[in-house]
Amino acid sequence: MTPPQKLQGTQPLRQFQDRLATCVIVVGAMAVLAAILAIGVFLVWQSLPVLFIPLETTVAKLSVLAWGTLKAALATLLFAIPVALCAAVYTALYLPARWRSRIKPALEMMEAVPGVVVGFIAGVILAPWIEQHLASALALLIWPPLSALLAGLLWQTLTPHRLPFSQAWLWLIPWLLAMGWLALWAAPLIEHQLLGDDLRRLLETRLGVDYATRNALIVGMAMGFAVVPGIYALADDALSEVPTSLLEGAQALGADRWQTLWRVALPAAGPGIFSAVLIGAGRAVGETMIVLMASSNAALTSASPFEGMRTIAAAVAIELPEAAPMSSTYHLLIFAALVLFVFTFLVNTLAEVVRLRLRTRLQRRGGGA
Amino acid sequence: MSHNMAWRGLWPWLCAASVALSLLLLGLLLALLLSRGLGHFWPAPLEAVTLTSGETFAGEAIREAKLPDQPGHERLYFIGNRDSSEHDPHGARFRWINLETIAQRDTSARLVRLSRSPWGDFIGRLEALEQGGQRLEGDAAWQALSQALAQPENTRPDAQLMLQPLNGDAFMQPLEEVYRASRPNAMTWLAKVRYWGTGVGQFLSQGPRAANTGGGVWPAIFGTVVMVIVMSVIVMPFGVLAAIYLNEIAEQNRFTRLVRIGVRNLAGVPSIVYGVFGLGAFVYGIGSTLDEWFFSARLPSPTFGTGGLLWASLTLALLTLPVVIVATEEGLARIPDAQREGAVALGATRLETLTRVVLPMAAPAMLTALILAVARAAGEVAPLMLVGVAKLAPQVPIDATFPYLHLERKFMHLGYHIFDTAFHGDSMQAAIPLVYATALLLVLIVLVLNLTAIFLRHYLRRKRGQPC
Repeated sequence: MTPPQKLQGTQPLRQFQDRLATCVIVVGAMAVLAAILAIGVFLVWQSLPVLFIPLETTVAKLSVLAWGTLKAALATLLFAIPVALCAAVYTALYLPARWRSRIKPALEMMEAVPGVVVGFIAGVILAPWIEQHLASALALLIWPPLSALLAGLLWQTLTPHRLPFSQAWLWLIPWLLAMGWLALWAAPLIEHQLLGDDLRRLLETRLGVDYATRNALIVGMAMGFAVVPGIYALADDALSEVPTSLLEGAQALGADRWQTLWRVALPAAGPGIFSAVLIGAGRAVGETMIVLMASSNAALTSASPFEGMRTIAAAVAIELPEAAPMSSTYHLLIFAALVLFVFTFLVNTLAEVVRLRLRTRLQRRGGGA
Repeated sequence: MSHNMAWRGLWPWLCAASVALSLLLLGLLLALLLSRGLGHFWPAPLEAVTLTSGETFAGEAIREAKLPDQPGHERLYFIGNRDSSEHDPHGARFRWINLETIAQRDTSARLVRLSRSPWGDFIGRLEALEQGGQRLEGDAAWQALSQALAQPENTRPDAQLMLQPLNGDAFMQPLEEVYRASRPNAMTWLAKVRYWGTGVGQFLSQGPRAANTGGGVWPAIFGTVVMVIVMSVIVMPFGVLAAIYLNEIAEQNRFTRLVRIGVRNLAGVPSIVYGVFGLGAFVYGIGSTLDEWFFSARLPSPTFGTGGLLWASLTLALLTLPVVIVATEEGLARIPDAQREGAVALGATRLETLTRVVLPMAAPAMLTALILAVARAAGEVAPLMLVGVAKLAPQVPIDATFPYLHLERKFMHLGYHIFDTAFHGDSMQAAIPLVYATALLLVLIVLVLNLTAIFLRHYLRRKRGQPC
């Protein structure tokens, strides 16, 4: 027991310390809030002079960049969405919890690989190789999914229920490696037999397609690699938050896994998956280093997957350090950054709201499970 | 209907394949970086090649490729000798040779490879070593050279080497410009391993040489570490204060919910936007004002009005703020209210509850937050391009002159070093092995940091008996 006199003696000091600490915490938090608000205020304030630039200049400059950004994001999502969503379905619905808790962090490691490294591999190593081996690259894109189906067919006919499907991902790694090697080996032969010439040269001479070494295809693959883990993690969360009682109920009523997935799990987790895709889109729109290194950075408005593009983020990174402060280019680029900021902020807010709504709804449906 | 059933059975295989594909790609990426990054330091055998035209040269075989437009193969040789190649006025250090034009290949044990400072590598024969009027030839010269290079750089004797390229005239080379020598063809396996080890060591401890095609990345490692430390010093107090405010002090109402969503969303704002803010607000805004007030004597050359360590750290601190707040708040929210109520019931003030009960329990979460922030900051390059990274910084940001830590200096960064060397070097081909090594280093740092954070989190959740 503390003697009362001593406690009384220190009481004002303790009270004072407590007030001081609370003040410090509140001031610190307000400083953080102010800094965050300052970003928005600064961007808006500095892009106001854009109003005095002739509208045509602004539109001419930004439309090209917007086109490039959308093209890059679209190419990315084309690669990323199927892989990420399929992987999420598999880990959330087919894998036992023990395996899932190991594979998920491993997949999330993909996100940790710095963009500059992915960009280097894509822009300096992959792009020149694909330029010389276009047919092989396309074969590598098409053949692995087909070979996975083939593996499934073989599995069903050769080993009826001998090995659990939950370990299929493990067996598929060497299988895909072998099939990739097969595609690399066979593609030049088929190309030679079927076309009689190099595919890229045929594209250029016969169809008049311009082929840039660093193009949308490369950007899509590289940025897809960077965006997959983000979409995957959120989609996996959404799918595994679907109450097991719902899935078990469906299966008790005689639905097979496929029906359970399409009729119960996906509709229930739909908004969550939607928000995962939105977050992925936000990431693809804002990614800078990969686009900078893996695209030609030429300001083009072509829809060809074999031509490059210049995105908003890349344009800001290249041009802003060289633009004179307070010049019209400077304000225009800051306006472009503001567009990026507002777009990603809105997309993320939408995704977050959808996700939170879904979570409360599912909790209610699952009876608080 | 049966067709439909078969499709249903196969569809999950696509899903399993996506998991396998993602893991495979990650593994391939790491394997590529590991093999190329570490393999670069392995002493490759040298060849003396005689062409059917009678020309001879010495080089290291790099790879083979099919000839374009005709049957047959060609091989890429690294020949070095940028200062003495006669046949190639542009000083190209690589040559593609059609395999059919090669008459003879010889792996003579006497071929030497010297790493030199201004001209890059030399591959050829060491004829003699002249030192103070004394002339050593052949093996004696090699012995003397090895002994001289084993000494520290400032105590090496003042000597001249007589070098004989296979495709040109002999010339004299001052010893002081040579920092490494090897005879890979004569090396035993053990010697190769030792050579590899010193190569890796030099890569980590020395500055870049010969236009980024040799030497190491020490200034970039140093710059990255200093920047990350300054950033952590700024971001941790503010991030933790904000998290404590949101979780412990503020009333949980619409406002805090809005702030929380806002903070979470900031994590998704592209990093380049932070760079724009850093350039406009810190560099051009605060920096130029500081220059006018305190450094007007040095104007028009800017002191703080240009990119530098302080602005880069501040920008990255803003960028990692959401990471710290979210991770710390997660830790705070996991502490049961009973703990706080117990402390208050015993008469503790809010400060005492915080410092004696809540913060010690949240310490691992704050550590996780710090690690995640550092991992994010170490790999981020785009904002740095705007606020203070340099291709080649003449001075490191910490030295022995007052005030020791120079916040206004530009610095080198591992990530930017990769970008710059891979895209803007004058000899990309020669620099790429080192870019691989740098990329490997960066990936390893970031992955190890992330793995630590994951394990820390996992361990914490398990300790509290919560499902992962």
